[in-house]
Amino acid sequence: MSRVVAEDPGRFLRTFDLVFEDPADRAGFTYLPGQFCEISILGKGESPFGIASSPTEDGHLRFTVNRTGSVTEEIHALREGDIVGMRGPMGNWYPVDLFRGGGVVIIGGGFAFTTLRSLLVYLLAHRSEYRDITVIYGARSPELLLYRDELAAWAARDDLALHLTIDRPVDGWDGLTGFVPSVTKSLAPSPADTHAVVCGPPVMIKFTLPVLTELGFPDERIFTSLERRMKCGIGKCGRCNIGPKYVCIDGPVFSMSELRENPEPV
Amino acid sequence: MLDRTALGRFISVLAGSYDVHAPVTACDGSFEYAPVRTAEGLDGTRTVTGLSPKGIFFPKDEVLFQYDGDGIRSGEASCRPIAVWGMRGCDARSLALLDRVFGSAVQKPGEERFQDPYWKARYDGAVIFGAVCVKPLSTCFCNWFGGSPSSTEGMDVQVTDLGDAFLLAPVTPEGEELLGRMDMLTQAADTDLDASREVAHRAGAMMSPPFSLEGLDRRLPELFHDPAWAGIAAPCVNCGACTFACPTCHCFDVQDEGRNGRGRRLRVWDSCMFSSFTLEASGHNPRARSLERVRQRVMHKFSYFPANYGERLCTGCGRCVAVCPVGFDIRKVLRGLGAPRDLKKD
Repeated sequence: MSRVVAEDPGRFLRTFDLVFEDPADRAGFTYLPGQFCEISILGKGESPFGIASSPTEDGHLRFTVNRTGSVTEEIHALREGDIVGMRGPMGNWYPVDLFRGGGVVIIGGGFAFTTLRSLLVYLLAHRSEYRDITVIYGARSPELLLYRDELAAWAARDDLALHLTIDRPVDGWDGLTGFVPSVTKSLAPSPADTHAVVCGPPVMIKFTLPVLTELGFPDERIFTSLERRMKCGIGKCGRCNIGPKYVCIDGPVFSMSELRENPEPV
Repeated sequence: MLDRTALGRFISVLAGSYDVHAPVTACDGSFEYAPVRTAEGLDGTRTVTGLSPKGIFFPKDEVLFQYDGDGIRSGEASCRPIAVWGMRGCDARSLALLDRVFGSAVQKPGEERFQDPYWKARYDGAVIFGAVCVKPLSTCFCNWFGGSPSSTEGMDVQVTDLGDAFLLAPVTPEGEELLGRMDMLTQAADTDLDASREVAHRAGAMMSPPFSLEGLDRRLPELFHDPAWAGIAAPCVNCGACTFACPTCHCFDVQDEGRNGRGRRLRVWDSCMFSSFTLEASGHNPRARSLERVRQRVMHKFSYFPANYGERLCTGCGRCVAVCPVGFDIRKVLRGLGAPRDLKKD
C-alpha cells in the first residue's frame, strides 16, 4: 500500500495505490482498462474491485473502495506500508483496439467511475489514436465525484469534453445539475464512428442505455461494465452468471448486443 | 473374475497403494461412501447412496491455504491416489462432467480456462471401479441423458456382480494395467460374459422409457419469462438439499476463518437455492426471489451448461427427487417445459 486517499467527507470512499512487493510479479502483471482484481484480507476474505489505474501509468495499481461490508471495512483500515493479497488481473476489458480511430463517449455515475478513469487515462495517453473524447460523469453531490483534482485538470484540457453533473443544485456548484441519462440526451456526441461506454449504478445504466439507442448508437457500439457478487473470479463458483455468461470471465465488459442475446435480463 | 470371497483381499491390496472409498451401509442403516480397507460393510445391493461421491474429489469443505506468523501454506492435499469401488454409472459420468469444470484447460475451442489444482490432485490419477446397476430405482432416469445401468463413461473398470463372483472388465488402459497387477483374479469364461450381459439387460429393461430432451436446451432461453416458472417454483422451500445431494452441482463459497494472525481460507459447498448466494454488499440481489433461484438451477443444468460445455449438467441419478422435502421432481419440470406450448401467450 503506497498511498491512501480519502475521496469523500463521509469517509466511505478511499483510493488506494498498491505496489508489488516482488518486482517479478510487477513485470508479469499486464492489464487493460476495465479489468479487475480480487483483493484479499486474511481472516476476512476477498472482494473484487475494478482497476482504477491505467497500464500507461507506471509503478502502481489504483483501487477506489466503497466501505460497505466486512472486507471493505478492513481495507479501509489499511495504511501506507501495509501488505494485502491480490489476485488478478481478471475478466475482459473495454475494447480500446476497436475504439481506435473513432470517437469515444464515457458515461459514468457515482463511485463506478474507477475503471472509467482507467479508460480515460489510457485514451489520453494514446490521444492521437482516438478522435473526439467526451466524458459525462454524474454523482449525487459534488463531494461524491471521485478524483476531483484530476477532474479539474481534465476540465482544463481542450482535447476532451468533460461534463460533470450532480443530482440537485447546491451552493458553490457551477456545473450541470440533473441525472446522467438526461445530461447524456442533451450533451452526448453524434453517434457517427463513436463508441459509448457506460458504467454506474444499475438504475443509471438502465435509464442511460435506451437514451443511447434513441440517439442512434447501435447495440454493438455500446459497452457497459457489470457487477455481480463474486467469489472465485475464474468461472467456477457459479454465482456471478447472467444467463450462460459469467461476469468474472466472460465480462465484466459486455456490449449491448451481447446483453440483448442473453436470456436473463440485466 | 474376482471370487466374492476374495473381495476383501482385493480391497486390501488396493488400499496398499490407494485411499479406497466405497458405498457402505452403516450400523444406523445409512448408505454412503466411506473410506474402506476391507470388504466389511461394502454393500452392492443398494443402488444410490444418500450423498453422491463428488465429495471424495470436491469435499464439502477443504482448506485452500492456512497462515500463521510463519507465512502462508497451501492446503492442497498431499493425499495418496484415490480408488473408488462400486460407483454407479450416473455418478461416474457426473465426475467426468465436473472434470470439465474443474480439470479441463479448455472449455470451448480456443478458450483457455484455469484448472483447479485441488480437484486435479484428487481426480487425476484416481481409479474408478464402476458397478453395473442390478436394481434401478423408481427415481432413476439416467437413460434420459444417454446413460444406462451398464454405462461405462468415467469408469476405469466396470464391475458386474454375478453372485458368487464379480466380472471386472477394463474400460481404460489404466484400469487394464491395474487389473494386471492383481493376482487374485482369474480369466472370465464365455458363460461369465453371457451372465454379465444378462444382468445389464435385465436392469435396462427395468428402466422407464426416457423422455426426449431433444431441442429443449435450445428452447429454454425462450422460456426464461414463461409464466410456468411461478408454478414450478411455488412448492420449493429453498432448503438446498437437492444441490448438496446432486453429483453435478458444484457451486461453492470461499470463506475465511481466523483471528490473531492465524487462520485459513476454506472452500465450502454452497447452493444457488440460498438468497445469500448472490446477495451483494450493497443489498442488491439479482436472484432475490425463489422463482429466480429455481429457474437458475434448471437453466444452469439444461441450458447454460449445455451452451458452455456441450452437455447437460445432470446424469439422472434421482437423488434430488428422493431427497426433496416437498416432492419437487425435476422429471416433471422437464416434461412440462418440454411439452409443446403456445409461446405467443407470453
